Amino acid sequence: MAAGGSCPGCGSAALVEDAHYAQQQLVCASCGCVLAEGLLTTTYAEEEHLREVAYSQSTGQKEQLSRCLQRGIRRVQDLCKVLQLPTVFEETAVSYFQRAVQHPSFHLVSLEKKELLGGCCVFVTCRQHSWPLTMGTICSLLYAKQELFASVYLSLQKELELSVPALSLADLVKTHLNSFRLFQHAADVPAPFVEDKEKMVTRTMQIVELASETWLVTGRHPVPIVTAAAFLSWQSLQPAARLTCTFARFCKVAGVDLPPPAHLRLKELLEILLRMASQLAWLRVFKMDKKTVVKHIGDLLQHRIFLLKNAFCLEDEEERCATALGEHSPVSPPAQEEGCPAEGKRQREGGPGPLLPPCLTNPRKRLRTAAPSASDLAITGDEPISDSEIEQYLRGPEEIRAFRQAKAWP
Amino acid sequence: MDGASPLEQYLERCGEQFKDDLSTSPQLFTSMSPYDVDLPIQTTEDVLFSSQFNQSKELPADFSSVDLSFLPDITQDNKEQNLSGDSHEMQKELDGSIPRNEDSGIFMDESSSSYPDATQPSPEASDVCPPLTPMTPMTPVTPASESSGIVPQLQNIVSTVNLACKLDLKNIALHARNAEYNPKRFAAVIMRIREPRTTALIFSSGKMVCTGAKSEEQSRLAARKYARVVQKLGFPAKFLDFKIQNMVGSCDVRFPIRLEGLVLTHQQFSSYEPELFPGLIYRMVKPRIVLLIFVSGKVVLTGAKERSEIYEAFENIYPILKGFKKAS
Repeated sequence: MAAGGSCPGCGSAALVEDAHYAQQQLVCASCGCVLAEGLLTTTYAEEEHLREVAYSQSTGQKEQLSRCLQRGIRRVQDLCKVLQLPTVFEETAVSYFQRAVQHPSFHLVSLEKKELLGGCCVFVTCRQHSWPLTMGTICSLLYAKQELFASVYLSLQKELELSVPALSLADLVKTHLNSFRLFQHAADVPAPFVEDKEKMVTRTMQIVELASETWLVTGRHPVPIVTAAAFLSWQSLQPAARLTCTFARFCKVAGVDLPPPAHLRLKELLEILLRMASQLAWLRVFKMDKKTVVKHIGDLLQHRIFLLKNAFCLEDEEERCATALGEHSPVSPPAQEEGCPAEGKRQREGGPGPLLPPCLTNPRKRLRTAAPSASDLAITGDEPISDSEIEQYLRGPEEIRAFRQAKAWP
Repeated sequence: MDGASPLEQYLERCGEQFKDDLSTSPQLFTSMSPYDVDLPIQTTEDVLFSSQFNQSKELPADFSSVDLSFLPDITQDNKEQNLSGDSHEMQKELDGSIPRNEDSGIFMDESSSSYPDATQPSPEASDVCPPLTPMTPMTPVTPASESSGIVPQLQNIVSTVNLACKLDLKNIALHARNAEYNPKRFAAVIMRIREPRTTALIFSSGKMVCTGAKSEEQSRLAARKYARVVQKLGFPAKFLDFKIQNMVGSCDVRFPIRLEGLVLTHQQFSSYEPELFPGLIYRMVKPRIVLLIFVSGKVVLTGAKERSEIYEAFENIYPILKGFKKAS
């Protein structure tokens, strides 16, 4: 800001405020005459210190932060910029990061982990503000191994005692679908593939809700479910043209990765839809299979509450059905609820069965650890140990000789 | 966005496996904390564990003593025989009363049935008194609430013992058939015995970790056998400071659980990240136990130093889980 007035030397009005080294001066631009020195204020304190000193420098804040911490904070800020997060997120993430690095359990971890720590802080911030960011995204941005990220994240959550709300599927659907390139006409997207975004988002959301009601979501990675649901909803919006398109091709055209579990999720979703279709009056006449049911997804979703109740014995019946299945014994059918099966046999005939997570309906054969036998339980821990038993574990001299020759012990 | 990296596939596969194959999972989880106790075990307490040990345990103070003398008597023998039975239904009624009996025992309530001397490890049959001993009691919610009738089964016990002499690991690996030693990978000898089926890590300092036993007594017996092997190899091994460091149990509540709902209502205790692990990690404060709860209804409990903590933790979580059974 140039003060009003003219230079006493040459009379020009071109006065410029300039700093000579660290001292403010009012100088004439034409002749160079120095009109005044020092800050053009009347505050005593500022006149005393005739220097402009930034706050962070005067308080020594920057010096207090180690280079590692500074670098980490910068990384957190860059990450927030790349993800286009609001500034509030950035501040929160930086504060978490600072807290975390001061914490004794993180103070001395490897540099690799410290880098991940920044990413974890951003991730936690996003989750707390219900911003649907998946771990996969952060890991790919940090080029991190997911196992390492997982361990750092869990210890961060524990040490700082952060409460991280669950990932909201609805938001995840919207965000994930944003990355699909099917909503505009483009050179590599065939005309019949293009779809209206709103319709697809709504339908995908409904299918994902259906999946979560039917136990397909609990305990599973969310992204493959969303991908499978998107595929089904896209197919069902124009079944004639799209039924022939495979899942893999769909993902390639949409420009999205196809995660391997998505095939299984698709299969499970179709099974659920088929069960529901068997309850819809005007579909019973048709023999439904995995392809044809897609055409009717719209109707199934519209009546899903009614169909779910009929297709599966829910809630109160679950217990009875589950125990019936487990014991393979007939259970007296309930009075009011319609269509609850007596036992699992009926389920195979296509009648309503219990609504259970897939891990319970298709249990894999596994070794059951035998319950402790009576002899095991009689052990007191102080029994005498026979020498012969111990000797079976020791090598004889010939064996040692042979071993030595074979292995050449140093 | 998300890449279908081999790691994600692996985690997904692990997730599926964990859901269905719980018999191996406890082993995996004990590896989280067998070493997180300070290995130089300076504990002076003499560990003739079980009974006396449990007597000195701090008792929960928030439940008033209740008169439970009306409950049927269960002795130790009965309970253990029932554990080896095939179905839980059979034990349901009997097991249901165990918690309360033991509770009455520990609280030394005058009004409840008399409590036998805790140092007796083997109970008499048809005892008027409730079962004692290796168990400290569970804390009942109220006498009116039903107990679950399910008893968690112990899957793994991790214990440590001090052999109190320096060991030459190469020597041990050479002279013992059941030992493996790979100094580049791990600085201890890994030794295994067949009965009880356990694994031990023997360090050159003389400290030893014994894992894989299914009960406290088995763990102690196994540790003694390992010490005996080391003795026979020529080292002056002793058997000091035997201590159970971790116990893992598992059970099945037999109904599917809405983990998303559970994490909402018990947010301060639960951590549920389906992207990382299919189960919900519940950190119970009292007793200090970590529970892994899966959608199939299987529950893994770990972090206990005593058997009773596992039982208590399960009794605490069961009503919470039942609350999520109907809400679907």
